[in-house]
Amino acid sequence: PGRHTSSSEVFGIKMSAISASEKVDGFTRKSMRKAQKQRKSQGSSQYRTQSAPAELSPLPQLKDATSTEQQELFTQKLQQCCVIFDFLDSVTDLKSKEIKRATLNELVDYVSTNRGVLVESAYPEITDMISTNIFRTLPPSENPDFDPEEDEPTLEASWPHVQLVYEFLLRFLENPDFQPSIAKRYIDQKFVLQLLELFDSEDPRERDFLKTILHRIYGKFLGLRAFIRKQINNIFLRFIYETEHFNGVAELLEILGSIINGFALPLKAEHKQFLMKVLIPLHTAKALSLFHAQLAYCVVQFLEKDPTLTEPVIRGLLKFWPKTCSQKEVMFLGEIEEILDVIEPTQFKKIQEPLFKQISKCVGNPHFQVAERALYFWNNEYILSLIEENIDKILPIMFGSLYRISKEHWNPTIVALVYNVLKTLMEMNCTLFDELTSSYKAERQREKKKEQERDELWKKLEELKLDDSTLFQKNSYRVLSVQNNSNSNNNVSGTQDGHPPAAAADRDNSRPDGASQDHACAK
Amino acid sequence: MDAFKLMKELRLNYEQEVHYLPKKTGLSLIASSVQDDGRISAKCRDARVEDLWSLTSFFGYSTQTFVLAVNLLDRFLAMMRIQPKHLSCVSLSCLHMAAKVTEEECNLTPSDELIRIGQCRFTASDLERMEKIVAQKLNFKSFAVTALTFLHLYHRIALSHSADRKETLSLEQLEAQLKACLCRITFSLAKPSVLALALLRQGIEAVRSEDMLEIAYHIQKHLKIADSELLLWSERVARCLSDYASPECSKPDHRRLQWIVSRRTAQNLHSYRNVPELPTIPEGGWGESESEDSCEDGMSSGEESLSSSLGSDAEGPYFPLHLHRQKQHLRVP
Repeated sequence: PGRHTSSSEVFGIKMSAISASEKVDGFTRKSMRKAQKQRKSQGSSQYRTQSAPAELSPLPQLKDATSTEQQELFTQKLQQCCVIFDFLDSVTDLKSKEIKRATLNELVDYVSTNRGVLVESAYPEITDMISTNIFRTLPPSENPDFDPEEDEPTLEASWPHVQLVYEFLLRFLENPDFQPSIAKRYIDQKFVLQLLELFDSEDPRERDFLKTILHRIYGKFLGLRAFIRKQINNIFLRFIYETEHFNGVAELLEILGSIINGFALPLKAEHKQFLMKVLIPLHTAKALSLFHAQLAYCVVQFLEKDPTLTEPVIRGLLKFWPKTCSQKEVMFLGEIEEILDVIEPTQFKKIQEPLFKQISKCVGNPHFQVAERALYFWNNEYILSLIEENIDKILPIMFGSLYRISKEHWNPTIVALVYNVLKTLMEMNCTLFDELTSSYKAERQREKKKEQERDELWKKLEELKLDDSTLFQKNSYRVLSVQNNSNSNNNVSGTQDGHPPAAAADRDNSRPDGASQDHACAK
Repeated sequence: MDAFKLMKELRLNYEQEVHYLPKKTGLSLIASSVQDDGRISAKCRDARVEDLWSLTSFFGYSTQTFVLAVNLLDRFLAMMRIQPKHLSCVSLSCLHMAAKVTEEECNLTPSDELIRIGQCRFTASDLERMEKIVAQKLNFKSFAVTALTFLHLYHRIALSHSADRKETLSLEQLEAQLKACLCRITFSLAKPSVLALALLRQGIEAVRSEDMLEIAYHIQKHLKIADSELLLWSERVARCLSDYASPECSKPDHRRLQWIVSRRTAQNLHSYRNVPELPTIPEGGWGESESEDSCEDGMSSGEESLSSSLGSDAEGPYFPLHLHRQKQHLRVP
């Protein structure tokens, strides 16, 4: 008897049997396929350069050493930790890895709890150890289609050690004896640049550390601030306009939030440029959902610092308003509400018309979440007070859209919200509301009339059907001869060339002449 | 219809209107009562009528539906003492009943939608029962003479006498003004014929038509309406309409509306507030020495020019021009 060969066997792929319930339309679910894909080992060039695996010999504990010995021991331990181990290989060097881990732990404690340990000579040793451990070229993503929202990130394999190194760096920076004037020789632009590159790590824990560390560095090293800001600019601009890939946007924005918060007034031109040339265009990124909360926070902070920026910001957002992505539209609406929450009434007047024109469109959007979010603005007391003050400008813009969707929208929740909004607007100014209602109704009447007239016209045209075939052909002859009167090749004769020009009123294909002729009209 | 017939119809309605008036004593009781849990007050009746107007407008019902609904409501309230918690059910039943006799079948909103949009807590069967009660108590036979009836008649009479003034006296506007008046319970104490005439007169006065004013006077005499009565109501109407037309907005009573959104939208509201904040880093002022450490090779920073330390784009917009000239302090913005 013939053996049934499954398609997976035919293609030579070993796959466990997949039950029908795990398929959709006969295709295996994406999640199942991913789970079965064997993970390729993440090779790294870091480990190939080491000739022989180093073995670490345990050093005495720091707490047991005398104060004179401690410094030397400290340095030795730091140097010992400069040896890197391959964590992708889960069986080799286990003992040495453990020694390093314990040592690192000890170092973290040492730097956190003791005073007087940060002597000048220690600084280069410390930064060397840190650099050696964390500065590495990040491997390319295992998953070329990595979707930050859906997929699990690839975590750093060496995290057991790397985590402690980051911890150590942080404690080092936060140590009360820390002296930026000494450290700046080692924590320089090169160091910072490499740190920034690590923000592209897929490992969120790493990025979280980097965020805090860079925040401290920015705070303590005044001389590096301009450089850091500039590099962040470059990263963002590259992200927006070239690669559309960078994993650390949210973290960098969080840092920027705390920087913006601390801006001195009046705001420098550089910062305003940053807002308009970098932060606003950042809204166009496809992966906006990953960092929108932080981005909106930055924008609002800017506006709280300098309200005159409101108009360019809102116009910028309107310019980049999402046209095909509803998820983004909801985010934009959220951001607008945040901005309106802090807006000054004079600024509001400047942007109310273009803004509410957009809101009017959103309110009528067939995607119910967009409509809902826009309608919910009317639940905000401050926004209501702004609308009230400017009702004569805003109501005419909103009215038509609201009235239309109250009749047409498919979603009942939306219809109920529209009622709330209309009722609220009506209570603000009933005279204007009544005027708009009557002009809207009059407009609808006019449109209906036009529709009727159009229908009648079509009816009349249909009634003009001509039944007589010769009458028809004579007509077409006349038309063609007018077109071809200068053509000497004119072979048009009334009865033979019967292909009707398109302008003829009758499109009836059952007529023998029209149906059989296929050649193009002589032109 | 010619003028004579119109006048005759007018007379007929005038004689009928008394049957559709709410009981004076009952209505006065409400109009004068202070807000209190046990009784309906003028304020809550007025608020309810405003809601009815919102619903009328929202569902595209005609003014006729609204006016009839208010008439039924006032008559019922004047006759029966009801608890405030039942007021929404009563008012919605009146609206539904009025709509059923006035609106076309296809435009009629079903009762459950009416209840949902009106954000009420009772059921459709409650509504049905209440409708039956109202109909029975009022002996409602699908018809009532209201101020609107008169307003329409007056308008037609006025137009039939001055053919070329069709555009100036807008019936729609008069209807809107009537609606504004009906939102206040005191106007339900007026006879509909008088109220409508008062409205007509102020409309005519607004367009300054001597001819039509004469017609209005003629109507008044025909119906034997006393000057004093007309004057009283004209004054009240004028006051009400000046409030209605004033550019000042009334702050909407926000708390009464329920804002129901879907779960997904509710989850994402104000997500920005959850951004954990890193401590603020204050920016140095212009005097601060942000300059010193800008060099890459650890060279002495004192005399470094901007461009070498910060890359070739130092002359870009980030660095205001006047800084390039300063050599004593390096200022890095």
